[in-house]
Amino acid sequence: MTKTALMTSSALALALLAGQAAAEVKFGALYPFSGGLALLGEESARGLEIAVDEINAAGGVQGEQVVLERGDAVDNNQAIGEARRLISVAGVKAIFGSYSSARSIAASQVAELAGIPYFELGAVADEVTARDFKYLFRTNPTADHMGKLIVNMIVEKVAPGLGKDPKDLKIGIIHEDSSYGTSVAGHQKRYGEEAGLNIVTTQGYPAATVDMSSIVLDLKQREVDIVLQTSYQNDSVLFLQQANEAGFKPAAIIGGGGGYSMLPTAEAVGSDVIEGVLDADFTQYAVNTEFTPGLEAFVAAYKAKYNEEPRSGHSLNNYVGAMAVLKAIDGAGSFEPDAIVASVSAIDIPQGATAAGYGVQFGAGNQNDRASMMGMQWQDGRLVTVYPEAAAAAEMRFAQ
Amino acid sequence: METFLQVVANGLMLGGLFAIISIGLTLIFGIIKVVNFAHGEFLMAGMFLTYLITTKLGLHPYASVVVVAPALFVLGALTQRLLIQPLLSARDDHVQIFATVGLSTAMINLALLLYGADIANTPTSGLRTPVDIGPVRVLEGQIYIFLCAALLVVGLELFLHRTQTGRAIRAVAQNRAAAQLMGINANWIYVLSFGIGAACVGLASSLIAPLYPTSSTIGTYFVLTAFVVVVLGGLGSIPGAFVGAMLIGLIDALAGFYIGSDLREAVVFGVFLIILILRPSGLFGTRVKLSHIS
Repeated sequence: MTKTALMTSSALALALLAGQAAAEVKFGALYPFSGGLALLGEESARGLEIAVDEINAAGGVQGEQVVLERGDAVDNNQAIGEARRLISVAGVKAIFGSYSSARSIAASQVAELAGIPYFELGAVADEVTARDFKYLFRTNPTADHMGKLIVNMIVEKVAPGLGKDPKDLKIGIIHEDSSYGTSVAGHQKRYGEEAGLNIVTTQGYPAATVDMSSIVLDLKQREVDIVLQTSYQNDSVLFLQQANEAGFKPAAIIGGGGGYSMLPTAEAVGSDVIEGVLDADFTQYAVNTEFTPGLEAFVAAYKAKYNEEPRSGHSLNNYVGAMAVLKAIDGAGSFEPDAIVASVSAIDIPQGATAAGYGVQFGAGNQNDRASMMGMQWQDGRLVTVYPEAAAAAEMRFAQ
Repeated sequence: METFLQVVANGLMLGGLFAIISIGLTLIFGIIKVVNFAHGEFLMAGMFLTYLITTKLGLHPYASVVVVAPALFVLGALTQRLLIQPLLSARDDHVQIFATVGLSTAMINLALLLYGADIANTPTSGLRTPVDIGPVRVLEGQIYIFLCAALLVVGLELFLHRTQTGRAIRAVAQNRAAAQLMGINANWIYVLSFGIGAACVGLASSLIAPLYPTSSTIGTYFVLTAFVVVVLGGLGSIPGAFVGAMLIGLIDALAGFYIGSDLREAVVFGVFLIILILRPSGLFGTRVKLSHIS
């Protein structure tokens, strides 16, 4: 090898190295990675990681490879501390998060003040986008969407299936009494009343309850036909078990997310007890994939990366939101916050074009107006999508 | 009328549940004068142990008590010997309380590390079978809990009043200095008492595990009510804890049905406050000496 050839090749190698080092952009991934919310926090973050892998494999954003800097939002205070660290020490250009509404509300205030875009991919509380922040966007459906979907499902599908007029059905709403259950129940009531449904009772209870027999007895006495429960895991299990044991068999039970979507809940109460129970939640995996293009590729990427099946729909919804946002940042021209905001605000993805089924377009408060939840039913030990029609993987079943 | 009887039955069964959990707590408090804030986490540890024994060895959950109760005895004895005893000579007694708060947090997070945030289901082994007694319906497992709680109260009372060790325990509880002068090894009695109190929780966990899914935070669901029960019954009184538990169970069930589920806690704690104002030392309490030396 001649001297010049050696010099050229080492110069080339140096240039390549330097080029690689420069072409990296950092984004924050702020989720509860430890503590009581760690399971679904981690699951949510996996969706973001898969989106980043996919974008990087396709050349990155604006030609730069995306690097995720993790922040552990184990509680509200730490969410704030980690958001500050990501922005001022790690120098991230945007933050993605955060699964928990309370963490999101706390951390996004820091980002808003610093003028760094914050993309919420999974928190459901109304308040997140009710503050009219400039740099905060939310891609996922909310408590409002959950209430709306449940009421629509009763009117369009459950009542006809039971052979009744929706107005003749007695509806009982029960909910755990933190802001999550209370806000979903509030939306159920509002949409229910708009649709002319007969809501006979609305009852809250603390999520850490160890006995729901008095609620079950009360619903039984009122001869409630449809029970709507918004709950966490423990109280979902408790209600389903105690209702079954008290011989209370309403025509339909519709759960709201939380405990109702998780397999351990079904295992705890037994597949015969949970058979036929309905549930509204983020898009899950047993769905008509014609309505959710890209879902199978996502599941394949998930299995290849983590060596297991996705544990809940959280990863999928975070993935869908992150993909939409990352593609918009790619077209923003620069990583200046205002350029990112302008480009993300212009996102226009129609319904049925993402792996979660819903489209993306931001409206008031930078909430994704096209986001929606889906109706699911436990059938033979599996949670399958039954509503809306276009996404259904199976027919809704009714007890005879 | 039938509904009323059913509500009362629910209340009594709930009372049995609260009683079986509270007995160990009141025992530890009455003798060692330490408020054990890790009580709920002892329950959680016992329930996880029951879950493991039942699922791995295929035993009936009740059979696991022969392992769980001794294991909890050891855990309790070690807590007293290694955590509380070194602090007994601290200038301020409250230091011990904070030590148990620390133990509680450590145990919750250890469980999160080992088991994650998900629930673990102990097989019900038919204990969730409803039983119809006249007009009311309760679960088989609930009846066993109620009976065990009643038997445990009687058994502990007999032990404390009729045996030499029991008398020694009461002597230390009444006046540690005098008991030591009589030749009783007070530290050993403390270790023994904490162990017995924790073993009662062990019994409770084997009874409760088949009825409630186990999780890292399950202890926090029960522990506040257990404190209310213990204070209501008169701190340190074992029959008092039983009666207190029945009262709280009944109020909870009646208020939950007749007033509204969102107000049941308000009613339970309202009644609790009224009783305390009228009887500051609880239903069965005499004036408790809080000092270790007295």
